[in-house]
Amino acid sequence: MSESTMMSQIKRTFSLLNQRACSRSSSSFFTDSDSAGLVLQSHSTDVYQNLALEDWIDANVELQGRGILLLWRNRPAVVIGRHQNPWTECNLPVMRRAGIPLARRRSGGGTVFHDLGNLNLTFFTSKKAYDRQRNLKVVTDTLRRLRPGLDVQATDRFDILLNGRYKISGTASRLSRKSSYHHCTLLHSADRSALSSVLRPSCPGIQSNATPSVPSPVANLLDHAPSLQWEELLGALVQQYNTEFGLHSALTVIDPTNESMFPGVGEMEVELRSWDWTFGKTPKFTMETQLELTNEQPPARCSARLQMEVKNGQIESCHLDVPVEWVPVRLSSELSSVLIGERFCPHQAAAAFSALLRSESGATHTRLHRLCDAMLTVMG
Amino acid sequence: TSGVLVQPQQPGAECPEDSGDYCGLQETNSPFVFLSVALKFTDKHEWVQVEGGVGIVGISNYAQEALGDVVYCGLPEVGQRLEQMDEFGALESVKAASELYSPLTGEVTEINTELAENPGLVNKDCYAKGWIIKMTIEKPEELDGLMDQAAYDKFVTSLE
Repeated sequence: MSESTMMSQIKRTFSLLNQRACSRSSSSFFTDSDSAGLVLQSHSTDVYQNLALEDWIDANVELQGRGILLLWRNRPAVVIGRHQNPWTECNLPVMRRAGIPLARRRSGGGTVFHDLGNLNLTFFTSKKAYDRQRNLKVVTDTLRRLRPGLDVQATDRFDILLNGRYKISGTASRLSRKSSYHHCTLLHSADRSALSSVLRPSCPGIQSNATPSVPSPVANLLDHAPSLQWEELLGALVQQYNTEFGLHSALTVIDPTNESMFPGVGEMEVELRSWDWTFGKTPKFTMETQLELTNEQPPARCSARLQMEVKNGQIESCHLDVPVEWVPVRLSSELSSVLIGERFCPHQAAAAFSALLRSESGATHTRLHRLCDAMLTVMG
Repeated sequence: TSGVLVQPQQPGAECPEDSGDYCGLQETNSPFVFLSVALKFTDKHEWVQVEGGVGIVGISNYAQEALGDVVYCGLPEVGQRLEQMDEFGALESVKAASELYSPLTGEVTEINTELAENPGLVNKDCYAKGWIIKMTIEKPEELDGLMDQAAYDKFVTSLE
């Protein structure tokens, strides 16, 4: 079958599957077992485009009596769970310098590092058919079939462990109006040093009730099964998915930015990229930390105390306790007040400080500058 | 279910002491009458209880069981206006993240701040201490579209 015939078949299938607004009788369109499932692979390696595609399928595809497997991977990115705090979960300054973006997904769970050596699998089903263990069995059965003797096991936390120790897969899920999805990672050949450098906190002293990650030692499949090629893994997963769910779906590559196939997906991508979603959805938190201030000419050192309350990613309150010999109280209290209402972000804070800095000179300016820098450092 | 059993009054008879709002019931024909603090349910397994013109909202026992242990509750702001079916919050459990859908149209008057420290209340006491939000009832007719206890119980049975 030619690529374009396959694409138009997929397009037709999607528009028929896009029956959300219709009554139950529409499902009688599908008596053919081929339409009981779809296996898709995203052509994109952009984390926001791929998350948007998940959102689109979740919102638009009728999943009663059928399932979809979506395979995808991303260029390096950090992905946090729905209710997590990025400032505690990942090192934002390191990510900024390395050009690694941050995305917040809609499912729960913890923080993960994605790169081209990590495979993501999303299992879309109706809520009734939601079964994470069964989905993970597809993965473990595949691995055992490809490399018999490979010690892989799904845990009751829905991780997959290699040799009983190393996490090679983590899981998260979402239950929405009519359907559900369960997605998981699979470490094939990810950059483990990049992973450990970004999965560290940005800021000290944060207190919140955001959902925390459970750190685990990880391993790549390739390190334990050196001949296991990416394509071989993908092909075997598709085969096992079909076997497990009694389907005959061929893998089809799709473009998640195709608005005619996925109308409205672009808007979903925009929302996922927005600061309001990524940072603004952080549960309320307080940050309390000590700032060490030092100066050269003349030599001096002291400690200041900073306390902030952040809601929706914005600074609601800020208290700065600086010894008066460093800067006068009027300056430290003005520094606090210019931050109120600003985003908890070092760039925004720097902009807010600039006017105040310009109004001072000489030794006071230098010490004020040190204080501002210390504050910016603890804001990620 | 919570409710109060009231003996019917003879039309025109004097209301007994402390009957307060119950007086209206003397018009009814049924031998015993439940005062309206009964719950109404949506097909998304949320319940609404009307109390003093305000709707208290939570999730049903079926929902909390299906969700598993709730580890986080994401709640709306007080003052936020909701249309019926709008997403107003999210619950994260060991099972998954799921959205909460407004059963009615109205404005959020109160949120259960206990859930911040103790999200498990949604599991342990879903009809009382595990309440989630309170809201005004802009369109009382929407309540008529919701299921009563018997209809909801039947609905749940049909799902299993």
